[in-house]
Amino acid sequence: MAISFSHIEKQTPYFPMQSEIVEVRRFTDLETFYRIRLPEGRELGHKPGQFVMVSILGVGEAPISISSSPTQKGTFDLVVRRVGMLTEVMSRMQPGDKVGIRGPFGTAFEPSAFQGKDVLIIGGGIGIVPLRSLINYVLDNRKDFRRFIIVHGAKTPQDLLFPEERTRWASSSDVEYKLTVDREAEGWKGNVGVITTLLPPLELDLENTVAAICGPPIMYKFVLMSLKGKKLPDENVYVSLERRMKCGVGKCGHCQINDLYCCQDGPVFHYPKVATRKEAF
Amino acid sequence: MARHLVRQEQVAALLVHLSRSGKVIAPHKKGAKSFTFQEMGDPAAVVLDYSRTIVPLKKFFLPAREKLLSFDLVKNQYEVPSVESPQRIFVGVHSYDLQGLTRLDQAFLKGVPEANYLGRRENCLFVGVGYQPDKYHFSRSVGIPVNKTEGFDLFLHKVDAGYVVEELTEAGAGLMAGAGFPAADGHKGVDEPSFTNNLRVHYNRLPDLFAKAYDSKVWGEVSKRCVGCGSCNLVCPTCYCFDVKDEVAVNAAGGERVRLWDACMSEPFAAVAGGENFREHLFSRQRHRLYRKFKYQAGGTDVPFCVGCGRCAEQCTAHIDVTEIVNELYREQSGEEIRKSGN
Repeated sequence: MAISFSHIEKQTPYFPMQSEIVEVRRFTDLETFYRIRLPEGRELGHKPGQFVMVSILGVGEAPISISSSPTQKGTFDLVVRRVGMLTEVMSRMQPGDKVGIRGPFGTAFEPSAFQGKDVLIIGGGIGIVPLRSLINYVLDNRKDFRRFIIVHGAKTPQDLLFPEERTRWASSSDVEYKLTVDREAEGWKGNVGVITTLLPPLELDLENTVAAICGPPIMYKFVLMSLKGKKLPDENVYVSLERRMKCGVGKCGHCQINDLYCCQDGPVFHYPKVATRKEAF
Repeated sequence: MARHLVRQEQVAALLVHLSRSGKVIAPHKKGAKSFTFQEMGDPAAVVLDYSRTIVPLKKFFLPAREKLLSFDLVKNQYEVPSVESPQRIFVGVHSYDLQGLTRLDQAFLKGVPEANYLGRRENCLFVGVGYQPDKYHFSRSVGIPVNKTEGFDLFLHKVDAGYVVEELTEAGAGLMAGAGFPAADGHKGVDEPSFTNNLRVHYNRLPDLFAKAYDSKVWGEVSKRCVGCGSCNLVCPTCYCFDVKDEVAVNAAGGERVRLWDACMSEPFAAVAGGENFREHLFSRQRHRLYRKFKYQAGGTDVPFCVGCGRCAEQCTAHIDVTEIVNELYREQSGEEIRKSGN
């Protein structure tokens, strides 16, 4: 039968918006911070935890988490680890250079799930990058949230991102900032040990604490086990997961976690939804 | 709706008549024993009695290589190609292939309705034809009998004299208008042929079967034979996973961003740039492919995504047949039940 799709609003989701890099800061040997402005003063209109597809013509595309809060107007931030061809090319870019942006895509750390609650952020490695969008959202609307705990881990002090902001988190009276590095390092006076070593001493108001977690795959297992040990209800946990992605709109299949599409059903998942998916962690 | 008798020697005349309403795409012989859907030139080259084409109809709607953008690297700009929706009449389509297309429609309508696929899908009419199932077909087991006419505009029923053309839609009646074929009174189409390849479990029980099959030993056994080539994905009417790549011209002045068919059976399919591969093992990729056909995508409808065409088995370098895997899962589970009840 001649099917007509004329009544359906069809979308062409594969066209990047050529956008300008307005600021570049090299955080580590691998990770670089970019502040980006969309064309014609457009706002990205994202929520904390969402991602964009970053595109360089002639090189390709890759999914990258948005690191800034929607409360930041006019520009948005990405922090990119140099691990593939696109990110390698991007690492050589300077202010004034153009990158293509598609999105925002995916689910978010919905602020409403955290409002009026104690907020527990757990970020390992570059997992802190997407979490910074929620961290800054909370800091910009601080009165809407109760206790604010940031648990942050990195391999070494050299791997730590956002130096000035971490100083602010550490010195702020209404942020409980706990930081650790995996291994001893010269000149390091802080905690040493994997991120889960920071969790047992935490005293939580279990019913009123909501956690947002992001980190390398291996971290989830141990952090989730630790939170379970503390009796934090699964319903109070949100995780952000990483997968390969080519489209961002639930078609290309690369990001599937069993039946879920990480790009549409995620990247931010309510933990009970993925707890039963064997490919999740 | 009317039924017309088209004698064997009049089939070419029917095809010519149909071609007045649009581009006719029909099965043609390819090589010694294969078939392919292609645009009709000489009506005599069209083959209506065929087993299956190598590649299903998806190639017309989701091309194996599709230009998404063309870019100019000197100006750092791109252009968007337009999606064409010509009037096309697909003739000689088997029921499972049209059903495969309806499943792709679901996939491209869901969430973000995608203009590229859906645009090409408009202005198409379908003329079905029956077939004699071979050792790979098992469509009936997934609820698609040979004579399932749903969705077709016309259906060609084989009779001794030639074909009875059954009109199924207004558009189909429009195609036949003025063709001048006589009414097919008294001519009865052939009965539903039987299948030699079958699932041993009813398709509406497959989601339950797969709900308990995740940790089955069958996946490991199958993956010992499977080489992970991905042929099964490429020839599947309901596989639509794709890759997106930038192809730069040799003079480096420009190029194209293309979308290419991809295969979830291939090793890097779920690998991320940091080194993690979320389906590293062949057994997990084989399992994922089957779950997409029988559990994940069926979501709520109980209609499998697999349409039983048998292409994956026919093209498999390791001679793996989906029915063999599903029947083995069934045997494993029913065997366990027997042992349990015996205790």
